[in-house]
Amino acid sequence: MKRFSIVSAVVAAGAMVLSIMPAQAADPGVTATEIKLGVSTPLTGSAGLAYGKVPGAMKAYFDYINANGGVYGRKIKLVVRDDKYLPTLAATQTTNLILKDNVFALVGALGTATHTKAYAAAALAAKNVPDLFVNTGFSGFGNTTKFPTTFTVLPSYAMEAKIMSKFIKEKFAGQAVALVAQDDEFGVDGVNGFKAGGLTIASTTLYPTSSITDARAKALLTGLSAIPGKPVVVLFGTTDVTALIFKAAESLNLVSKFTWIAGSVGGDANTLLALGVKSTTIDGAIAASFFPDAKDTSDEYVSQFMKINEKYNKGVSFDNIVLQGMNSAMLTVQALRAAGKNLTRTGLINAVQDKGATFASAGRVPLNYSATSHIGYNGYWFGQLNANGELKPYGGTLSIFTTDSAAGAVEASTFTRPAMPKNGIPTNS
Amino acid sequence: MKNLKLKKGLVALTSAALVTAFAVAIPSVARADEPTCSDTGFIDGAKFVAFQKCTGADGNGSKYEIRMPAKFNGTLYVYSHGIRYNVNLPAIPVVSPKGSLIDYSPEVAPSETVAEALLSQGYALAGSGATSQGWNLSEGVDAALQVMQIAREKYSKVSKVITWGSSLGGLTAQALAEQYSGAVDAVAPLCIADSAQAEITMAGDFLWGLKTFFNPAIKGSNYSAGSAGYVEMLTDLGTVLTTLGALQAAIAANPVAPAWPASTTVPATLQAIPVRSAILLLGLISGISTQSNTYDASSGPAGALETSFGLAISPALAVLENGAQAAILAVIANYDMEVRAGGVVFDNSATDYSARLGDDGDIYAAALTGKTATAGMLAYLSKFNPAAPRVTGSPDAIANLKSMYQLKGQIEVPTITLAATADHITPPGAAQYLINQYNNSVTNLTASAGKLVSIWNKPPDGYTTFSAAGSPVAPTVTTNGTGHCNYTTSQVLAVAKLAANAAKTGKAPSTSAVKAAIKNEPNLFVDPSYKPALLKYNQ
Repeated sequence: MKRFSIVSAVVAAGAMVLSIMPAQAADPGVTATEIKLGVSTPLTGSAGLAYGKVPGAMKAYFDYINANGGVYGRKIKLVVRDDKYLPTLAATQTTNLILKDNVFALVGALGTATHTKAYAAAALAAKNVPDLFVNTGFSGFGNTTKFPTTFTVLPSYAMEAKIMSKFIKEKFAGQAVALVAQDDEFGVDGVNGFKAGGLTIASTTLYPTSSITDARAKALLTGLSAIPGKPVVVLFGTTDVTALIFKAAESLNLVSKFTWIAGSVGGDANTLLALGVKSTTIDGAIAASFFPDAKDTSDEYVSQFMKINEKYNKGVSFDNIVLQGMNSAMLTVQALRAAGKNLTRTGLINAVQDKGATFASAGRVPLNYSATSHIGYNGYWFGQLNANGELKPYGGTLSIFTTDSAAGAVEASTFTRPAMPKNGIPTNS
Repeated sequence: MKNLKLKKGLVALTSAALVTAFAVAIPSVARADEPTCSDTGFIDGAKFVAFQKCTGADGNGSKYEIRMPAKFNGTLYVYSHGIRYNVNLPAIPVVSPKGSLIDYSPEVAPSETVAEALLSQGYALAGSGATSQGWNLSEGVDAALQVMQIAREKYSKVSKVITWGSSLGGLTAQALAEQYSGAVDAVAPLCIADSAQAEITMAGDFLWGLKTFFNPAIKGSNYSAGSAGYVEMLTDLGTVLTTLGALQAAIAANPVAPAWPASTTVPATLQAIPVRSAILLLGLISGISTQSNTYDASSGPAGALETSFGLAISPALAVLENGAQAAILAVIANYDMEVRAGGVVFDNSATDYSARLGDDGDIYAAALTGKTATAGMLAYLSKFNPAAPRVTGSPDAIANLKSMYQLKGQIEVPTITLAATADHITPPGAAQYLINQYNNSVTNLTASAGKLVSIWNKPPDGYTTFSAAGSPVAPTVTTNGTGHCNYTTSQVLAVAKLAANAAKTGKAPSTSAVKAAIKNEPNLFVDPSYKPALLKYNQ
């Protein structure tokens, strides 16, 4: 009897330990103490200049979470690989993350062409690898048959163009509109969105990526300057091209000739200033955004992320890119928590589908995840940059609009953002 | 046709079921001459490896060779070589610098180094050189069967047989195993070729594209009968080489915006697009790899082109480097197939090249100079453009081509494939086709599950190097993972060893066993989920 009791006690103690410890999952990259995540993204090259801070910001937030107990006791490890924004290298690096690094999930990949190639090359669908919070607005990633495990974080470019159409028609009626967009899936998504938005465009210039030079930018603006009045120039491309065009306008003394509207991808003031654009040039330019401005310290998300950045991302200035990276990391932590202690790839995918729309997030617009929608944010607001690079709501009032990537209407939103979790540490389940 | 029962070979088989299976109908052939044998050997490190070398001609007159080590371990590898030119060639730069005659010699292994390594380990080797070269699938199968029979008859200690081969030889090995159930114990197709129609479609599409975009003087197909056709083929080789040279020179002169060659007849609006984008488009629509021996589609020289070279220039240069070899082979192989099949075998009369491009139009949008330029180039290649006439094949000739054995994936013995992800002659999609066929056969209960394992050979992550002036430097040794059947000796031996073990156990190795076997091969990987794109013909 006594012996039986001892054995029982040992068994009971063992059971208690087991119940406290997270269960071992069969999927790669998860142990009782660690969750290994991976990201292939540009750290170097021209895109690295603009977006290279994303993985560092994510890692800083994960380090902060790890210092505060991790996710159900597991520490998050982020493996970062540089793809230079090149499709073939992205395919190589993503495959390496899966086969060599044995990551559990991918998070925060960046780019459309790069990730399209990488997704197929690394057989992410066949392996059921969660592919979370990809930084692209290409609406094609919303095809859940083709990309069943992918969840993008940006609103689609089509959504942006539709909402921008409404904004321009309301705020700049009577002004001719010129569109300058990348001649790829990014720009085409935008062109389709402007068509769906019913915007009349007087001049459309589509340029191949990496083809814009100072001379071509000047030729383009010289041509557009012939349009009478004060045309609205919509810049629907990456930040480096926005900067080239702004600098060409400075050189030609044409800054004030146009009303400038930059898309969310190419309108980051800090990057523009870092690329040599004058503060007087961006002063008054309009930009679309779904985030708070990274300089707005009154925003509770911004202020919390700034604190984390100061301690865990030492020496890196806080800007919209850092904000974006930390926000994706916080979404990831919530997704991992929502997936539960018995972490599986299927569980993580289901968690984002089922609960992702409720996650706390810095975004000023709603998250839209569901079983049928894998595109994250679905709205925008418009602001005006000042000489300090701050984006202030256009007209003084924050107006949010939402829509879809297809023919749905653009609607004003009364969305109220969930509060920042206490100390920036999610406790959801 | 008389059944030929392999009497002595049967004695060596231990399984009654296998004996029954092996007593299958084998094409009747004239009796082969007795082999001529001699004892020889080589030094391997500190030991002398003695073996008996036997040569002869089989019942069809195909030369064969058998190497039997003195310390034989019971396993015989029967090797089928890849495609060889079926025409004599005069001295042609790049193609045959010294001229060449049709090669009918037997090969017993992918390389002499591999042969010696296997002999040193106690394995016997055999191989043939069929009397008919070119796309000789059925002749190759027959020759392999015959040398197998001859070896079994001469050496009763042969207990296990592995059939393997490279490229067309890989297809031959697989076709043999599928058609003659029980004849072999394991199969190892290396860089397996796809069907004749799939391969000729890839090569033909690229060749037709070269003609249409860059030089209408290229004939490409429909060669005349007799010596006139032979001359046309030789002339085509020269025209293709000249055209490729002009393209290469244009890119060397201006990598960012190279001009179209003088021989082009496309409109000026199309010529405003950098010619590198047109080259890349041809590679993408025909399925030629965007990674080559020199170009990794990722690296760039330090300076202004550091990113854009990998993005927009390197993939095009890779297609040009790969396409040069593919186009040369296309001319000779197409000529051979037309002679063999009795008419034009390439047919793109209904091909939708826009559909062929698929997602690559988005992935390579920058390198293709944007979607507008891509649409313009595709419009020019459209079947509705009278300036770009399509090729209509001969139905009878195509039927002849299709009458060759087509892989069914009816795999009954352990089968291990090795394919490179950037092979430009036999892309990995050829191995994937076998996987698909096998999976269908398993689903249809015409094949046993768990018999096929695929090993893949990828290039290093980044390998293009540049001179101090920023020019790409061609490597002195072909980059592993690129090129055609460009495996290292240790990679081939790793696959051979896995096949030998599988032949003994009757079971294909597990994924973990393969991982352990290739752990020292950084460019090999096994991943059951990896699924390269099929050749365009099969998409």
